Amino acid sequence: MNKRILIVDDSFYMRTMLKNMLTDAGYEVVGEAANGAQALEMATSTSPDLITLDVILPDNTGLDVLKSLRQIQPSAKVVMCSAVGQEVIVTEAIENGALAYIVKPFSEEKVLEIVGAALQNDAAEPAV
Amino acid sequence: MADIELSVPAAKPERVKPAELVQLIVFRLGDEDYGIRIEQVKEVTVTPEVARMPKTPPFIKGIANLRGDIIAIIDLEERFLLRPAGRAVPERSYTVAVEAADYILGLMVREVPRPFTLPQSQIEAAPDFVQDSSTRDKYLEGIAKLPDGGIIIVLDMRKLLTPSEVMRLPGKSASS
Amino acid sequence: MKTRDQEYRELFMAEALEYYDSMSRHLSELERNPNAGPALNELFRLMHNLKANARAMGFTDLGEVAHHLETLFGLIRDQERTFSGPLIRVVFAGVDALGNMIRAVGANQPLPDASALLDNLDRLVRGEAPVLDEVDEGDTEEESNRKMELSDLVYIQVKKLDNLLNLVGELVIDRDRIMTLAQEIGNPALLATAQHLFRISDDLQYSVMDARLVGVGVLLNKFPRVVRDVATAENKEVELTLSGQDVQIDRNILQIITDALLHLVRNAVSHGLETTEQRQAAGKSAIGHLTLSALTERDDVLIQVQDDGRGINTEAVRRKAVERGLITAAAAGSLNEQDVWALLFEPGFSMADKVTDISGRGVGLDVVKLALDSLGGQLRVESELGIGTTFTLVLPTSIAVKGALLIEVDERPYALPLMHTDTVLSLEPSQISVVGGVLVTHVQGLAVPLVPLRLLLHDEGDDVLPLASKSELDGPQQVLVVNYNNRRLGLVVDRFIRQQNIVIKPLSKPLDTIDLFGGVTLLGSGQVCLVLDVPALTRLFLAKRP
Repeated sequence: MNKRILIVDDSFYMRTMLKNMLTDAGYEVVGEAANGAQALEMATSTSPDLITLDVILPDNTGLDVLKSLRQIQPSAKVVMCSAVGQEVIVTEAIENGALAYIVKPFSEEKVLEIVGAALQNDAAEPAV
Repeated sequence: MADIELSVPAAKPERVKPAELVQLIVFRLGDEDYGIRIEQVKEVTVTPEVARMPKTPPFIKGIANLRGDIIAIIDLEERFLLRPAGRAVPERSYTVAVEAADYILGLMVREVPRPFTLPQSQIEAAPDFVQDSSTRDKYLEGIAKLPDGGIIIVLDMRKLLTPSEVMRLPGKSASS
Repeated sequence: MKTRDQEYRELFMAEALEYYDSMSRHLSELERNPNAGPALNELFRLMHNLKANARAMGFTDLGEVAHHLETLFGLIRDQERTFSGPLIRVVFAGVDALGNMIRAVGANQPLPDASALLDNLDRLVRGEAPVLDEVDEGDTEEESNRKMELSDLVYIQVKKLDNLLNLVGELVIDRDRIMTLAQEIGNPALLATAQHLFRISDDLQYSVMDARLVGVGVLLNKFPRVVRDVATAENKEVELTLSGQDVQIDRNILQIITDALLHLVRNAVSHGLETTEQRQAAGKSAIGHLTLSALTERDDVLIQVQDDGRGINTEAVRRKAVERGLITAAAAGSLNEQDVWALLFEPGFSMADKVTDISGRGVGLDVVKLALDSLGGQLRVESELGIGTTFTLVLPTSIAVKGALLIEVDERPYALPLMHTDTVLSLEPSQISVVGGVLVTHVQGLAVPLVPLRLLLHDEGDDVLPLASKSELDGPQQVLVVNYNNRRLGLVVDRFIRQQNIVIKPLSKPLDTIDLFGGVTLLGSGQVCLVLDVPALTRLFLAKRP
């Protein structure tokens, strides 16, 4: 069965691009959330295998969302997504259980590589 | 539409509390008066041009354009076996358009339907007819006995309006 | 034309303009209240997003300005800088510059130079004073020239477009009625107004239809991945070529044929194309070629799935159809090539001897036929053994309006979609013969069975149709030859009325179960006209022929 992915990003453009990359690669994108509240709701209703999480969101920081996600969906793997410049948050995110960090702008290869590795990776070995 | 307003027949002053009133649209089928609660009626109109529709039971007179809605026109006299089936649509007739959840059905009648108001207490619940024996009794809400001795058979359209019931040939099971 | 790059670009522009508007709004808020936390957070977030999106699109300079502003707003938020003094002017200049750059992207122009601005932003980040150009003080004129920009793109739910299309359908019906009435009444002013209404609603109808059109590429571009996966699973080498991505079609039509196309493509890779060894043994190129193309033909859109594989083995299909009980051996023997191929699309027929993970388990090509029938589309099959197979889906461009031929039987009009009509004939009885109780004529050398439409319409029960006899034929017969699945049938009608564009309304309950009718349409006179469903008529004839 295809791995199921939830995309959390407040930019429609970014979500569309990520979604295209992931669906083209055969993943099933089960939802797109534009803010933290939606992310938590969708994570609960869709139980995704993996969540790509933007670091900066309109209602919470990605970090808050990450902490809540780890609580309600501990089995979901989380990959942080952020443009350069927010490395501090990302480090903290990885300390809080995020598996990897995708730097925007991302190439399709990089996204697939990191997502693939994160899905393979059961031990929380951060790949950056 | 409700241009003919009949006065409420004077109820006997047995009860003190005001009677709950029911408004019916009453029309003639066969030799009997039938009524439908006004809430179940969308409009009453002169029957528009009816296009015969092949592959339908004879009591379905065809389809008609009712203000842009294409509705089926059925003849309840034939549906209820009160008259022989397959008669031609008369030159002038009236259609009581009744509303189901997601469609409208036209009931063709030959005489002008009229509104009629009566107290709810005058409608007696339908007696326990054998439910599957016939055609009409299944769709009854009750029978109104009028002070002048007349009778109005009150139909519950909600029971008739499921598509399988409408299409059902009298005397046959719905699956046929 | 809308490639994926174009789609990204449009999304980027729409979002960038939206960000720009929000930035301006939050800046004004900040000007009133320099400590407004939410506004600062929002500005920071918007800059961050704009930066990321701009970089992804390759607009480095735009990304750079957004990046500097993001850093600066981060510092203000963390109270290392205050929103005051010369910083305010630089920030406003920065947001203006972003606006100009976004507009330049939208207009396909080179981005304006921002090096002076970037230097100033750098200085502010470092805690130095910006260098402000005094000449720039003449801001007032620029101020009045500043444009308000709203996004040129609106995202809309398909449901809303569906609703719009239905309303336009109703309007067109009423318009035709008004037109007819105006002609009857003959008042010149009324007639002129009706004609004007006619033109406007025509334009409106086409505009609404146009708004629903998308490039076929939206669907085709999903196939490289599918083909790669199926090919890998089947151990085959396949080169996929796409063409005609820009051909426009109604979004819902594309949606309805998605599964059908998926099946055809999987089928082509799994069964159409050979393995590398088989190809080499047959003297063909090692790599199989698959072409997915869209093109327009008159008012229709054709989508073709073409492979250079083994071609359809007609005899194997014939055998299989008999095995599966779809047809008797005797009947199978008499079918021509095209008729045999049509069997591939019957429910329960699957050529796959080997069930693979990808091609599905017995889920056959009948989904293709179902999808096409629901759209009033057609399927064409061409195949040559050893050379390859081409499946062509013939689709209407839009679902709203269909060309139709109006005919009359027993003084009632009926409409038949042109998509399914081949030709009309007026036949003398001498041109008609009786074969096995069925009337037959010859069209271009091929035998075509004829049946009075009246007979099909009024047929009841399970009995076969009565045996035809030539004695019933009186004078010239008006015949409409319809075509479904390459099967032709001549319908004898009373007369042809005219050809007309019709808007089909679905039949409402309880009559929607009668499959002989695809819906109804209202003629200009307000008259109700049933639309006949050619696939259902053909099936009925085949089931009931003597």
